[in-house]
Amino acid sequence: MRRSSLVLSLLSLALAGAIATGATAASSADPGITGKTILLGGTSPLSGPASAYASVARGANAYFKYVNARGGVHGRAINYKVVDDAYNPSQTVQATKQLVEQDKVFAIFNSLGTEHNVATRSYLNQMRVPQLFVASGATTFGADYKRYPWTIGFQPSYRAEGWIYGKYLARTKPGARVAVLFQNDDYGKDLMAGLKQGMARSKVKVIAAQPFEVTAPDVRSQISTLKTSGANVLALFATPRHAIQGYVFAERLNWRPLIINNAVSSASNIMTLASEGGTNKAVQNSISIVFLKDPTDVKWRNDPAIKLYRTIMSRHAKGANPKDVYHVYGMAVAYETVKVLKAAGKNPTRAAVMAQTRKLNDVSNPFMLPGIAIKTSATERFPIEQALLQRWSKGSWTSFGGLWGFRAG
Amino acid sequence: MRRADGIRVLVFLAASAGVLLLPRLISDFRAQQLAYVGIYFIALLGLNLLTGITGQISLGHGAFMLIGGYTTAILISHQEPPLELLGHQFTGDMRDIWTIPLAGLVAGFAGFLFGFPALRLSGLYLALATFAVAVAAPALVRKYQGFTGGGGGINLFDVEGRTGGSTTDPITFETTSGVDILGFHISSFNVWLYYLCWTLALVLFAAAWLMLRGRLGRSLRAIRDSELAAVSSGVNLARYKTLAFGISAFYAGVAGSLLALATTFVNPDTFPIALSIFLLVGVVVGGLGSLWPLVFGAIFIHFMQIEWAQKADLVIPDWIPFLGDIDTDAPGAPAVAFGVVLILIMLALPSGAAGLLRTLKSLITRGYHRVR
Repeated sequence: MRRSSLVLSLLSLALAGAIATGATAASSADPGITGKTILLGGTSPLSGPASAYASVARGANAYFKYVNARGGVHGRAINYKVVDDAYNPSQTVQATKQLVEQDKVFAIFNSLGTEHNVATRSYLNQMRVPQLFVASGATTFGADYKRYPWTIGFQPSYRAEGWIYGKYLARTKPGARVAVLFQNDDYGKDLMAGLKQGMARSKVKVIAAQPFEVTAPDVRSQISTLKTSGANVLALFATPRHAIQGYVFAERLNWRPLIINNAVSSASNIMTLASEGGTNKAVQNSISIVFLKDPTDVKWRNDPAIKLYRTIMSRHAKGANPKDVYHVYGMAVAYETVKVLKAAGKNPTRAAVMAQTRKLNDVSNPFMLPGIAIKTSATERFPIEQALLQRWSKGSWTSFGGLWGFRAG
Repeated sequence: MRRADGIRVLVFLAASAGVLLLPRLISDFRAQQLAYVGIYFIALLGLNLLTGITGQISLGHGAFMLIGGYTTAILISHQEPPLELLGHQFTGDMRDIWTIPLAGLVAGFAGFLFGFPALRLSGLYLALATFAVAVAAPALVRKYQGFTGGGGGINLFDVEGRTGGSTTDPITFETTSGVDILGFHISSFNVWLYYLCWTLALVLFAAAWLMLRGRLGRSLRAIRDSELAAVSSGVNLARYKTLAFGISAFYAGVAGSLLALATTFVNPDTFPIALSIFLLVGVVVGGLGSLWPLVFGAIFIHFMQIEWAQKADLVIPDWIPFLGDIDTDAPGAPAVAFGVVLILIMLALPSGAAGLLRTLKSLITRGYHRVR
């Protein structure tokens, strides 16, 4: 008798709890959030020309599954719906409208590509749906926050990256003469502007710059023009195919400047291709920035975060290649999202989540290099503006020196 | 013959009424999806006229859609500095719907011009030449970025001339959205898009039917069946082939213009090579040479690209080695699902939806025992 009354009271308690959570869930007016789940959605090029970047979404999803298995965020599981856009902005728009209007997601998260996010930005801001942690380094996602308050980026902007190279040259190579190969679009021009800003008022000068169209079959003539300028530093602001060509043609012309290679093309597998089986000497001592822990770097072999990364990958991303650094990127951004959702309170609203993204201050993201801060404020919307420099030697990257932090102005 | 036509007109009117009443029954979001189906239907009508009726394979219709889409985008966008070609500045600011016929005409003219070199090519060689156009078009857009906005594209969401965008009153700051047209108020952009696309689709469908039932249709079909026979019966090969290219590209241009308005953004990646291939797939799934069954092709290519691709794990059975336990977020999963479904359809329905409908019709009219 006593026992059954205990069971009864427990049952009624559970019922009251269920009603209470149901009631709180109903009071939270924003779509995509229930007592048990938070629905995030995003687009990713699972097919098409840029499908190598699909690993970003996959890494993020694996991390959310790991968090869900350990109880989720305030008891809610994070469901992350990834829709293929084949890297076609028209499909990004259709898929994003589907996620917002049909699936009723709480926020758009980690959608990949510059034009793809530009294409959906006005719509999402009009609908007041958070466009969370855009996977693109275009400066506009941080700079135009007044017009698009529901949008925020994540990775270092191209301008900040260029600035770091400029500052590094100004400090360590006074008198350096810099030649720049840059892609003739916003991405290449952002890097170039940052580079010039970083070396302003120093004895380092850009003495030659050669643009190329993204459709150009090769960059041979640009490289030979740059060589004749007499520069002793070459900056490659190009996507992988043209960056590799930059290395190859410099080697063919017997030109051995210090080569700066932008982060877009610095993944180890791309550098290995550029090395041409070790015969390309121009690759040696290349410089690039790094802000994530590279899972192939021996330095992190016993790092707890990278160990955790491997466990999560084997458990929640079957068949994926754990050496792919884009998965680490996905986990880093998912980690930050979990943190933001937790901080936004027990019953987060879209506005509360955006408010949290305006006061990020996190130096402990385990997937980022030690010491890198993820930081924003009301007037500063670039979450990551720090990076280490790394040098390529004997077939792998080694980071060196202290943190470099971008300061505008 | 006349009586059959009368029935056809009645069926068409009934179907039109159904199409126009449909938004009352479906959700706002579905209306938007069906608007895209309407856009693809227009493009398929055009491609079918060339490939299905005239027998000229085109793997380049995405390029004509690109021309249409960019014509609209350049005419309505307001860029700073203005887009420029050969010293002429395009200040934009045109009303979006008036650019649709212009987009069709510009694309149609491009198609007509392409028809001349195409006269010397046939079969596989023509397919390759048109494919080259599809490959080159996005590259050209990037090359002439002063005129096209380059890889960064043109954003149409906030432009003045866009119908259905929300406008803010400068004095009261009240934001209004929706479209007033012919005395009706359409409150949602998606529903407006649906009516715009399907009104044009119905008109262009009727136009295609009228064109093809007369002399033009006979001549084009004659060219498909045997060029030699057509010429000896007095069909002017050059005139009809270039005409077919022109009309077909006009349809593609209108579809491209609508795609730009629906997406509110264009850049070279919006009209990839894959689009041209999807269009050909759509015509084959709908049924080469058919007219209204092309709707099924349009439904197939729209839903297969985005919505059904998300269910890749349902399409591929678990027992298939390597692929069976695929995650839906794995790279390549949607493409694999698309391929599997396409193979199954081609095995089951080699002549597309039109073939299936013919079989069903003969089953009903002639009785089962006569059909083997």
